[in-house]
Amino acid sequence: MPPSAETRRILLEAVVIFVLGVVLGLSFHCRLLMNAFSGKQAMSVATENSPVDRFPQPVELEGVRRLIEEGAAPVDARARELYLEGHLPSALSLPLQEAESLPDSFREAVSTDSVLVLYCSGYGCPDSFDLGIILLAEGYRDVRVFEGGFPEWHDAGLPVERGEP
Amino acid sequence: MSRGTSLLYHLCRLSLGALFLYAGAVKADDVVAFARNVANYEILPYSWNYVVAATLPYVEVVAGLLLIANRKVRPAALVLGVLTAVFMLALASVDLRGLDIDCGCFDPRGEGHTSARAALLRDFGIMALVVLTYMIRGRMPDPRR
Repeated sequence: MPPSAETRRILLEAVVIFVLGVVLGLSFHCRLLMNAFSGKQAMSVATENSPVDRFPQPVELEGVRRLIEEGAAPVDARARELYLEGHLPSALSLPLQEAESLPDSFREAVSTDSVLVLYCSGYGCPDSFDLGIILLAEGYRDVRVFEGGFPEWHDAGLPVERGEP
Repeated sequence: MSRGTSLLYHLCRLSLGALFLYAGAVKADDVVAFARNVANYEILPYSWNYVVAATLPYVEVVAGLLLIANRKVRPAALVLGVLTAVFMLALASVDLRGLDIDCGCFDPRGEGHTSARAALLRDFGIMALVVLTYMIRGRMPDPRR
């Protein structure tokens, strides 16, 4: 039996409501989605069912700015040479290769209660995520990963520091 | 229509509308965190987790607002009913696979942990609200509104 005119109207209006919501969402977050579909994103969105109990939480550019203003510690996971060429203001350098045995200087500079914002070379770079896993295992409780990394920060025209902090 | 039925209708409609308006608003406020919640279900490819996270909250907000405004109630309830059914399938899949994740139903940054089974039970309640709202609205005068 074909659906009645009333059923067809309800279905059509339901589709319109759904499409309106989708269009709003796509409009507000088009940049995020373009990044996600550009193939430049980080290795994966964290999942809770991997061998490690916890994963770093992703954070967007605006969130990074807010967190840093609130006192979070930015941590640069790139190689030292890249860090010296330019890094987020007040960022600490902790290349992934050096983090396997966490340096005492880092432990002394950053307490485990601090909010950490890790970054590396953008969406194609998994180092910040991997570093986050290590730091969580070392007892740091609030570890975020800025997936856009230094390129997104730099491209947004935000201040950059060079050399040692 | 009896006064009791009318009261029940408005109670269901407003509860459902407020629930989804809140759920959508808190998720839209931190889409990346919500994408992580979606990824925890291990159902979609990486990028599609972001698509769902970016769009779903707004569908919830639009439908929730319509319910609260008492406009296009049956289409809005239908949308939320379909969404709830999809959530239930996803949660059942999580439960069957034995994944221990937070359902991500509300605040994606929240500290709470709602298991898939608990969320599934809650969704049965939400589905009851959807069905009641949809059915009673159909029996009221001017069902086109």
